[in-house]
Amino acid sequence: MEQDLLNILPQLIVLATSMLALCFEMLRRATGSLWVLVIGLAAAAGVAISKLGTVTTAFSETFRVDFLSLWAAIILGGAGILSALLMRQELRKTGREGTLSSLVGFSTLGSMILAGAGDMMFLVLGVLISGLTGFGLAAYPKTDKATEGGIKYFIYGSVTGAVMLFMLTFWAGTSGSTLLSALGQPGLEPVLVLLGFAGVLAGLGYSASLFPFHFWTPDVFEGAPVSVAAFVSVTPKIGAFFALAQVMRSLHPEGLDYNLILALLAAFSMTFGNVVALWQKNVLRLMAYSTIAQAGYFLLGVIAINGSELAVSSLVVFSVAYAAMNIGAFAIIQQVGPQILNFEGLARKKPFMAVAMVVFLLSLVGLPPLAGFAGKFLLFGAAIDVGYSWLAIIAILNSVISLAVYLRIINPMFFKKQPVFSSEPSTLLRWVFLSSFAVTVLVGIAVRYFL
Amino acid sequence: MMTNFPLLSITLFLPLLGAILLMAFKTGRKGTNIIAVGTAFLTLLGTLGMAWRGLGTGFSQVEEVAWIPQLDVAYRVGIDGISFTLVLLTGILFLSSIVFSTKIKQKPRAYMALFLMLETACLGVFMSLDLLLFYVFFEITLVGMYFIIVGWGHENAKKAGVMFFIYTLVGSLLLLLAFLALYLNADPRTFDMRALIENPPVTGGIAVFTFWALFLAFAIKTPLFPFHSWLPLAHTEAPAAGSAILAGILLKLGAYGFIRFMLQMTPEMFREFAWVVMAVAVFSVVYGALVAMAQTDLKRMVAYTSINHMGYLVFGVAVAAVGSESAGIRGLDGATLQMFSHGIVTGLLFLLIGAIQDRVTTREIPVLKGLLKSYPLLSGFFVVAAFASLGLPGLAHFPAEFQIFLGGFEDYPWAVVIMLLGLVIISATYVRSIQRSFMGAADRNILKMVKDLNARELLAFVPLLILIILTGVYPDWILKYIHETVKLLM
Repeated sequence: MEQDLLNILPQLIVLATSMLALCFEMLRRATGSLWVLVIGLAAAAGVAISKLGTVTTAFSETFRVDFLSLWAAIILGGAGILSALLMRQELRKTGREGTLSSLVGFSTLGSMILAGAGDMMFLVLGVLISGLTGFGLAAYPKTDKATEGGIKYFIYGSVTGAVMLFMLTFWAGTSGSTLLSALGQPGLEPVLVLLGFAGVLAGLGYSASLFPFHFWTPDVFEGAPVSVAAFVSVTPKIGAFFALAQVMRSLHPEGLDYNLILALLAAFSMTFGNVVALWQKNVLRLMAYSTIAQAGYFLLGVIAINGSELAVSSLVVFSVAYAAMNIGAFAIIQQVGPQILNFEGLARKKPFMAVAMVVFLLSLVGLPPLAGFAGKFLLFGAAIDVGYSWLAIIAILNSVISLAVYLRIINPMFFKKQPVFSSEPSTLLRWVFLSSFAVTVLVGIAVRYFL
Repeated sequence: MMTNFPLLSITLFLPLLGAILLMAFKTGRKGTNIIAVGTAFLTLLGTLGMAWRGLGTGFSQVEEVAWIPQLDVAYRVGIDGISFTLVLLTGILFLSSIVFSTKIKQKPRAYMALFLMLETACLGVFMSLDLLLFYVFFEITLVGMYFIIVGWGHENAKKAGVMFFIYTLVGSLLLLLAFLALYLNADPRTFDMRALIENPPVTGGIAVFTFWALFLAFAIKTPLFPFHSWLPLAHTEAPAAGSAILAGILLKLGAYGFIRFMLQMTPEMFREFAWVVMAVAVFSVVYGALVAMAQTDLKRMVAYTSINHMGYLVFGVAVAAVGSESAGIRGLDGATLQMFSHGIVTGLLFLLIGAIQDRVTTREIPVLKGLLKSYPLLSGFFVVAAFASLGLPGLAHFPAEFQIFLGGFEDYPWAVVIMLLGLVIISATYVRSIQRSFMGAADRNILKMVKDLNARELLAFVPLLILIILTGVYPDWILKYIHETVKLLM
């Protein structure tokens, strides 16, 4: 038991700090709760770093401590810190921003639990915690748009959560256990396994805004505070894909080609997201469809999880890259404004900010030597390694379309004359995008440490 | 002496250092020009230093640092005769282009920084001995050129830039897939180009896939018909020095890829499908020539002649893939020499067109008249460069094209006959355009009192002109490096 607790120390730290942050909020010490959260998440990430290399389980195999869940603690810890700093900067003076800190903490915890799930109940728990806190974050400003987004997020979340829970009973029924590892035994009823798989896809697909479970995404991104959009575009998604990887590791491929299902979803998600993003005028909606497209890329790593040594590291590297470039881009959007018009002439007024935005967006396209390239490179390699070359080709064609999408933001920054933007970024914001920038630039060079 | 001195890496990153300096300090226009020209000059010295150290057989002066050891990706650079030729070309043409561009008034710091960054990327492509490193530099050239076209180009620059970026991104992503296929099939898995050349890894179905992915990637970049449609627009809209670099260096990335990857890493497939490559090359020769003839814009005309010239070049490589040893050596010698000569000739032509446009504000052949009277020096340079481009003996293209034809004629006389037809059309195109724009009575507008070539332009043009003549009459100065490598390669 003691060993079990030690094994999940990062998650326990996040739990403790989230509750502590809540206490500070009750005392109306918003700043205090922010710093508690930052320190807690940093400590959790630090502990996870020190544990890298451990492979074990906790609580009778229900929680997996491995490369994926440890890296999840590191990445999600970092993403949580950056998002919380962004929220603090954006929502200062509301008086209740301590609430945000604790919600960010709990949501991060939910995604960390997902990433190490070894049991069906942990899947449900993770989806629910990260979802429930997400509704609160999305609807926080209480404007019409925010409320609309929050409600959509809530309705989709409760429906997919219920579907997931219901379908999981088929798994438990056929395998006689709620452990994911029990799904590895031969002789399970394929139809029941497929039903359970569909349920898991619905729940995790919703968290990850994967087509066709993505419908809440654009409205939440548009309505919620920009910093919240940054957070929900990163944290639940990474948790969900790591969870899906844990599930795929356990499934026994008997008669059913789960990979093919995932590959089709990946192809649709990428293509749909990118093509729809081409027509968006609002940068936040554009980014929403971009995250739907990027969700497809994550699936390449999940598909390869049983067949390629590259798969696990490709998921981790792409997650690091994705978190850094997405949060960085949202930090700049928060400063500049939600319309493409707001970006006109940015290069003239704020050259570094414009260059940083180009770096984030080109990294999302997957151009070297940026982090997004390192991630996609490993993902493509993993997919080809398990015989999914056609999917890699579709992913590549999508990268080309996504270039056209992101150029729609890049071009006005450099090639329009009138600068309309003038406010100075705050120190906090500067820190956020400097650290995202550093990660986005350096991960390509330092990728050896993730393997 | 000083065998461990990392000359290649220093030369490679020198321009980048210059770019960073320019971005970091608010240098005035003069300071910007000094830093840019100085860096480009030092870089050229670095490339000359490589020749002075001497090229051994195979890849020499190799420098290697581990990058992702788990995947056997490393920072590996080195040169052989073929890559050295292109490295030297890069050093020369960038210096000329940057000297020519010192007149730029619009955001000169960003312009020069982009140019220098682009130079590092180009050098990196030619020096890389690692697939992943190659790919990284290959993509950076795209980004750099995109911003140069869109930021400093003419009216339709944005459309041209986006088209250029998207088209060539398709190619380079296919390239990435091919590289992954090469990596995954190598035993042991590696990104080391030397190992992949030593033991071409792909066989069977995956080899077919790899070959065609490589072919598409490089055919778009080169470009060959029908993958060329991004090129005329990009050339027309780019600023003069941008066009020079685009035609002079970036197109060579494709041609270089034909040799380095298709010929050396998928030789079996190349042998099998050489006829397709030849057919596309021969068609590009005739197509490029015919379409060039129909152009009224000088820049577009030269752009289409590039398609024609790249056709000869790729034909030479295809001969090396399939022909006898002697024919192959001639073909490949010629193709590599053609890369160099096309770089300096077309580079000079585009810079000259830029100089013409600076003076008379148009590039339309029907509007231009009697340039010779007002600008004898400028016209003289143009006529020599144009004659070089059409393959006049004694100028740079002749020894290259002659060798390609000689190599090809042994086994494919008909292909050579058709290509000679392309040569005739190109000659007619140039002669006619020279006659129309430079001869005759000058138009009133042309007679504006602008000086003939100034010191800045002479400084940019004269070295290129000297090289064109030198390569024409004594090609052996560069061919000796090429030939050693080519012999080894066949």
